Amino acid sequence: MPKSLMIVDDSATMRKIIMRTVRMSGLEFDRTEEAGNGAEAIEKLKASPVDIVLCDINMPEMPGTEMVKQARQLPNCQNTKIIMVSTESSQELINSVLASGANGYITKPFTPEKFQEQLAPFMS
Amino acid sequence: MIEQKTYHETVLDAAKEVFETMIFMEIEPAASAEQTDHSLLGSITFRGNLEGCLGISLSWPCAQAIARNMLALDPDAEISEREVCDAVGEVANMVMGSIKSRIQDIYPDIAVSIPTVVTGKELNSSLPDGTEKVSVSVCLNEEYYADFTFSYRKTE
Repeated sequence: MPKSLMIVDDSATMRKIIMRTVRMSGLEFDRTEEAGNGAEAIEKLKASPVDIVLCDINMPEMPGTEMVKQARQLPNCQNTKIIMVSTESSQELINSVLASGANGYITKPFTPEKFQEQLAPFMS
Repeated sequence: MIEQKTYHETVLDAAKEVFETMIFMEIEPAASAEQTDHSLLGSITFRGNLEGCLGISLSWPCAQAIARNMLALDPDAEISEREVCDAVGEVANMVMGSIKSRIQDIYPDIAVSIPTVVTGKELNSSLPDGTEKVSVSVCLNEEYYADFTFSYRKTE
């Protein structure tokens, strides 16, 4: 089944690294999008929703935590799976983000195996 | 309380994790790399019950090599200044994240800023009185040198 992916990170370099790591994990997407912050991601999701979003937390303009809350208000993103990708690793923050609507959490530095583990359940 | 020697190990272990997992470069402790021409400084600040700054200073060729490895480019591939600076900022961000996860049992309330990168000569950070500083020099791929500086003070 075709799948689409959006990577949200203020670092263009990190977006490329995430994309490369996703490919290394063996997962394939027929459409990929990028956004440089939460606000840009919300605008793109309004226009064209995706199946899976990989989203940083620490970003200017709109942090990932707020992006999750706003995405969950969008009628066309109710089934979108949102996985946070961040250097933040406190269990309190992870629990808070998951409670606000995220579906998973990957900490940086990451490996292809971490992406496989978190994303594969949403690929079927 | 975490002693300076332990902070040195913490910074080194965090740097090793990031370089081995995300950048695919060999990393070994080195004698001070201050003699090399460090023209880039990537830094990230943190605040909470421990506050301070993590900096990585390195030469332009070293930064280019890191950026090319992060982006899986050929060793002689063209790479823009923006991409190099972006990569150095991400290194600071990820190493600080790894340090934070290693000390969060003792300092659970640390908030981290967005990284910044500056270019120039004789770069260093100035911090308030009472700040302790740990320096960790590393050799990358037996060719390049970089210095990590972890400056901190307790606020409680």
